[in-house]
Amino acid sequence: MKVVYEVLVKIVNSYAWVRDKISPGWSTRNSSRIKEWKLMAYAFSKSKIGVLGGIIVFVVTLLAIIGPLLAWEPYWEYRVVENPELWYRPPCMPPWCSGYPVFGTDEWGRDIVSLSLYGFRISFVISLFVVLLGAPLGILLGLVAGYKGGLIDEVIMRLTDIFIAFPGLILAIAFASVLPQRIRSFLEVNTPIRDLLSLIFGLRPEEYAQLAALISVWIAMVIVWWPGYARIVRGSVLSVREQPFIEAAKLVGLSTRKILTKHILPNVLSPILVMMTFDLATATLFAAALSFLGLGPQEPVPELGYLISKAGGFFPERTMHIVLYFGIILLVIALGWNLLGDALRDVLDPRTRRSIEFKEGE
Amino acid sequence: MGLATFLLRRAVTFIPTILGVLLITYLIAYAIPADPVRAWVGEKLMNPERLQEIREKYKFDKPWYEQFIFLVTELLSGQLEDPVRQRNVFSELFYRFPVTVEVALIGFIFLVLIGIPLGVLAAIKKDSYIDFFVRIFALTGSSLPAFVLYYFLILGFFVYTHTTYLAGIPYPTQACRDWINSLPATYPYIGNLVSAIGSVPMFGAAMCGEWFVVADTFKRLYLPGLALGLLNGGFIARIVRNSLLDALGSEYVLFAKARGLRKLRIWRHVFKNGMIPVITVLGINFGGLLSGAVIAETVFNIPGMGRYMYDSITRLNFPAIIAATFLFAIIYIITNLVVDILYAMIDPRIRY
Repeated sequence: MKVVYEVLVKIVNSYAWVRDKISPGWSTRNSSRIKEWKLMAYAFSKSKIGVLGGIIVFVVTLLAIIGPLLAWEPYWEYRVVENPELWYRPPCMPPWCSGYPVFGTDEWGRDIVSLSLYGFRISFVISLFVVLLGAPLGILLGLVAGYKGGLIDEVIMRLTDIFIAFPGLILAIAFASVLPQRIRSFLEVNTPIRDLLSLIFGLRPEEYAQLAALISVWIAMVIVWWPGYARIVRGSVLSVREQPFIEAAKLVGLSTRKILTKHILPNVLSPILVMMTFDLATATLFAAALSFLGLGPQEPVPELGYLISKAGGFFPERTMHIVLYFGIILLVIALGWNLLGDALRDVLDPRTRRSIEFKEGE
Repeated sequence: MGLATFLLRRAVTFIPTILGVLLITYLIAYAIPADPVRAWVGEKLMNPERLQEIREKYKFDKPWYEQFIFLVTELLSGQLEDPVRQRNVFSELFYRFPVTVEVALIGFIFLVLIGIPLGVLAAIKKDSYIDFFVRIFALTGSSLPAFVLYYFLILGFFVYTHTTYLAGIPYPTQACRDWINSLPATYPYIGNLVSAIGSVPMFGAAMCGEWFVVADTFKRLYLPGLALGLLNGGFIARIVRNSLLDALGSEYVLFAKARGLRKLRIWRHVFKNGMIPVITVLGINFGGLLSGAVIAETVFNIPGMGRYMYDSITRLNFPAIIAATFLFAIIYIITNLVVDILYAMIDPRIRY
C-alpha cells in the first residue's frame, strides 16, 4: 500500500504548493497541519479496506463523470421495436452471442451495461447533491443552535425534533409526490436551468418531466437529511463551546462568525466528514428505494432502482440478470462509500490514528 | 425529580412536536396543486352536489388554517372520517397497525438474535477473524439495496423451497375475536388493555390458545424479519462490540481484576454497563419498525402501516395521512420515553 501513501502525499504537497502560490509562506505557517495530513495519509494507506473503498469510490466517480459519454446505446432508443429477439435477452458467453449484448437486455432491448453507465451518473449526482446540500444546512443550524443557546436553540431543536419524529422514507415519499408538478412548470419556463440540470444528470432536455421527478426526489431527500446533522453538530458544539480557547477568542474580540467558522467548526468537523461519507452510501440506496416505489423518474430514464422495480414483475425467469446486475452496481457504489467511511473514522479520530501509527514501531 | 414530574415535563415538551408534525403534514398536503376531492370521489362519480357536500364537510371553501383546525379537532375527538373509505380513519388504522406490530416484533427478534451474540463474540475475540467478519457483515448489510435482498430471499425461501407464503395475515377464529372484543364490557379498565393487546392477531390467538395461528404468523412473516436481521444485524453487532470494549477498558474492570473476581462476574458488570448505548439504538430501531417499512411491505405484500401511508399519499387522502402521522409521532415519543425509563432502570447513576 506504499503507492497509495505516495499518491496521497503528492496530493498534499501539491495542495501546499498551490496555497503557497496564492499566499507565499502558507506551508511554513501551516507546517504542523501538513504533517498531520501526511500522518493521516499514512494511517489510511495502512487500512486495507479503506484503500479498497477508496479505489471503488474513485472508479465509481470516474464512471459517473464519463459514463454517459461512453455509453454506446442512447437510452431513449428502444431496439426491441426493430428486433423482438431483444426482449429481456439473457446474458450469453462471448463467442456464442451472435451479435447480441453479452450481459443481456432489458424489456426495451437496451444493453444493460450501456444503460448502467447512465444510471451511475444519476445515482452519483443525486447522492452527492443530497449530502452536499443537506449536510451544510444541518451543520449551519446545529452550529447556530449550539452556540447561541436560549430561545434560538429551543426553536431550531424543536424543528429538528419534528422532522426526526417522521419516518424518513414516508416524509420523503410525501414530498416526492407533491413536488414534481411544481418543479415541472418551473423547468418549462426556465430553459437555461433545465438544460444545465439535464447536462448534469446526463439526460436529454426533452425529458424535463422526468428531470422534475428526479429533482423532487433530491429536494425531498434534503428535507429528510439535514436534521441528523443539526443534532450531532449541536451536541459537539455544546461541548466545545465551554473550552478555554473559545473564551480566549471571545476576549480577543473576534466576531461570532469568525469564532464559529475558524474555531468551533474545525473541532466538530471530523465526525461530520465521516458521517457524510456514510451518508453518500445511504443516500444512493435511499434514492434508489424511492424510485423503486415509483416516485422517481419514469420511462425512459435509466434510474437503477426503477429498472429493478420494473424487472421485478418477471423475476426470476426473464429478469434474473437485470436484478442481479443493477443490484450489484448499487451494492458496489454503497460499499465503496461505506468502506471509505469506516477507514476515515479510524484515520480522523486522533486516538485510533496514533495506535495505527505506532503499530509500525513495535 | 420523581418519575411523575419527569413524565409530565416530557409530555409538555412533546405537545409542540406533535402539533408541528401535524402542521407540516397538512402543509405538504395543502401544497398539492391537484383538487383532492376529485381524487377521493373518482372521475366517474362526479355528482356536483356530492362534491360540494364533501368540500363543505372538510371546509375546503375556508382558508387553510380553518381546514387544519377542523382536521385536528376532529382527529383528537376521534371523529375524523376517511373520505375514500367513508368511515372513521381509526377503523382502518386499527386493522393496519396490529399487522405492523407483528412484523416489527418478529423483525426485532431476528435483529436481537443476530446482532447481540455476534457483537458479544466480536468483543470477546477482538481483532480475530470473527471480528473482521462482523465488520464486513455490518458494512455489507448497510450497503445492500433492501429490495434486491428481498427478491432473492423470496426466490430462495418461497419460489424454490416453499417454506413461507406471501399473501394474507393469519387471524384468530371468529369465536376468539368475539371473546376478546367482549372483554372490556365484562372487566372494565383491565379488559380494555387486554383487548387492545389482543387486537394484534398473534397475541389474540395466543390468549385463546390457538397456537397454530401463532405458528402460521411466524411462517408468514419470518422472511421480512430475517431480511431485517441480515440488513441491520451487523450494525447492531458493531455497536454491541464497541460499547462492550469501551466498558472493558474502564477502570472498574481493572479494579475488579485486581481484586481477583472471577471472569464471569467481571463480564456481568461489563455487560450491564455496555448495554446502555445498545438499548438506545435498539429502542429507536424498534420505534422505526413500528412506523412500517414501506418497501418490505410492498415486496412481501403485507397490509401494514407503511403501505397504507404510501397508498394514502398517492391518493391525496390527507385525513388518513394526518391520522397516521399522528400515530407515528406518538410512537416516536413513546419509544423515546421508554428508552429513557429503561436507562434509569439499568443505570442507577442516571436520574430524571
